[in-house]
Amino acid sequence: MFQFARFAATRAGLAIITLVMVSFIVFTLMEFVPGDCAERYLAFKNTQGAGISIADIEAERVRLGLDKPYLIRWVTWIGNAFQGEFGDSCILRVNIAQLLGQKFWISLGICLASLLLAYIIAIPVGIISATSKSATLNNSLRFVSYLGLAMPNFLLALMVMLFTTIVFGDTMTGLFSKEFRDAAWSFDRVKDFLSRAWLPILILGWSATAFAIQTVRALMADEVGKLYVVAASARGVTGRTLLWRYPARHALGPIINSLGFDLNRIFNELPIVALILTLTEAGRLLFEALARSNDQQLAGAIIFMLTASIVGINFVTDIILALTDPRVRRSILG
Amino acid sequence: MTDTVNTDTAHNDENVDQKLKEAYFTASQGQLIWTRFKKQKAAMVGATVLIVLILWGFFAPFLTPYDPTIAGRNENYQNGAPQIPKFWDENGFSFRPFIYTYERTRSIKTNFRWVTEVDREKRRYVVLFPQGDKYTFLGMNFSTHLFGVDKGKIHIFGTDSTGKDIYSRTFHSINTSLAVGTIGVFIAFVLALIIGGVAGYYGGWTDSILQMITDAVRTIPAIPLFMAIAAFIPDHLSSEARFFIISIILGFIGWPTLARRVRTHLLVERNQEYVLAAQLCGASAGHIIRKHLLPSFTSYIIVDLIISFPYMVLSETALSFIGLGLKDPVNSLGVMLQNVTSADVLLNYQWYFIPVIFFIILVLAFVFVGDGLRDAADPYGDTKK
Repeated sequence: MFQFARFAATRAGLAIITLVMVSFIVFTLMEFVPGDCAERYLAFKNTQGAGISIADIEAERVRLGLDKPYLIRWVTWIGNAFQGEFGDSCILRVNIAQLLGQKFWISLGICLASLLLAYIIAIPVGIISATSKSATLNNSLRFVSYLGLAMPNFLLALMVMLFTTIVFGDTMTGLFSKEFRDAAWSFDRVKDFLSRAWLPILILGWSATAFAIQTVRALMADEVGKLYVVAASARGVTGRTLLWRYPARHALGPIINSLGFDLNRIFNELPIVALILTLTEAGRLLFEALARSNDQQLAGAIIFMLTASIVGINFVTDIILALTDPRVRRSILG
Repeated sequence: MTDTVNTDTAHNDENVDQKLKEAYFTASQGQLIWTRFKKQKAAMVGATVLIVLILWGFFAPFLTPYDPTIAGRNENYQNGAPQIPKFWDENGFSFRPFIYTYERTRSIKTNFRWVTEVDREKRRYVVLFPQGDKYTFLGMNFSTHLFGVDKGKIHIFGTDSTGKDIYSRTFHSINTSLAVGTIGVFIAFVLALIIGGVAGYYGGWTDSILQMITDAVRTIPAIPLFMAIAAFIPDHLSSEARFFIISIILGFIGWPTLARRVRTHLLVERNQEYVLAAQLCGASAGHIIRKHLLPSFTSYIIVDLIISFPYMVLSETALSFIGLGLKDPVNSLGVMLQNVTSADVLLNYQWYFIPVIFFIILVLAFVFVGDGLRDAADPYGDTKK
């Protein structure tokens, strides 16, 4: 038990070190964005007719703490970030935690749903494709999963839009219909949300599924030929029981381990898909912050939260693997 | 008589067999990979398609009829539908394919909007090797194109909102995408070789620290990272400068996966017996790296590069599509798709999507070739199944 706790603590420590490193990279990047918050705010004031001077900009800098050295600002930023506090957005002038709150969880939910969808399809299909002898089945599965790799999500989203506009005359975009857009959460709103969210989930899940099928297939193909499988079938275990009890259990371990990176890949596509389907969630906000308004505070906060969720999932999967896989457990407990 | 012939052929067979065996055992790694690659039908088809598309892109200035930039636009045919050459219609048959004449008119009948009308009586004939827009190819100036029409212009894939020929743009953009991918892969490769090489060769602490940094970079989703970096590129840069900066960014973000592979190769190879043997023979470290270690995995690295290539191309496309990558005078698929999400295009101008088909084929061909190469480069590939 003590050894397990030590293992968990080491992993948690490593996760936090990774997060700190990531935050440094993100913070440095945001620092390179031309101009800073003070200039941007006063430029905005200028458009409102208020005359501003260099002294005003300097005063604003002092107020925002931008005159302090780089490292100190980074330490303050990361200290606040770990408490879920990201300050105010440069452009929108609202608290980022409030602005992001719900939107971020919606995005995370969509991504996790796509991930779930991908593995619900990929695990049985991958196992079948690794064990079946039929060349036609194998080749067609291979083609479909290559198509998933070759046709990025945003092209698929465009195709779906093209198709739905021609056939239904509706682009199927957005996450809520008009009457629910600003309503409080209620049963009807959830229903409305689900009736629209399946499309982004499907689109984001598309290439994730293709990728997952390839991984499951490769891992299964490696395990199926091993001697313990032969031994089990010699003892009379056959068919689905054989596959499920022996090779599949071994093959699926590495998959649990890579869930974090799978989520990374799905997050990756979210801003662009969100842009095409005009979703109002964090991916879209990130895009706006980076491409339209250069809002470094907001962009930094979103990227940090994304990576924090990925690091978090990596940590959880490590622990799950240590609990479930006897080989890993043995290596920890010595 | 017959006997001697038989023994002769048997002898020949043995000879051939012996030669084959000899060829197999003395073949270089490249030759072995090629032999195994040739056996895979899907990969060979992919390779053929890929070569055709690359050549098509390379000779695009000649194979396409017009300049892909604003200089080659057809101001009388904007947002125009594809014009498919025909051999016959109700007015009779012609050996030379032809298209109709299109005229833009607006009057009170069309509510004063520009409308394109087809005049089926006035045929325009397709001609080979006409003189058209000037282009520079391999440092020389030309103005001959493969095909065109005798009067006006032909647009087999239609035109976009400014009247630029979509067919010409599509194949010029293959060139751009390949160039971006090549530069990106090259930079990623150099970085991966240095970082992965240092990590793999020294091992120990250096390796652990470099691995942690690599993992941290890998944790950040790539496209948001692209977007963040691309947002710094000033707007006033020329399109060529933008092109190079985008390629460099792609390279700088693409290295972690490659670096991991280089490191793994090195970690495995440096403990091999042949390295020990060379060391015992008194070879210097530099000699071992150059003559033994590098040749042992160059072919795998090349395969890795080809596998990562389509992802570079796709990233560029995604980045340009959202407006953070390449911009207009440069042609790439992302640039061409920038405006297609508008309802107008979706409902009325679906030919904007034609280039997508070619890009999916291009990337698919790359993926097939990459996968075939990976199987071919796997030394244990033959023993399985």
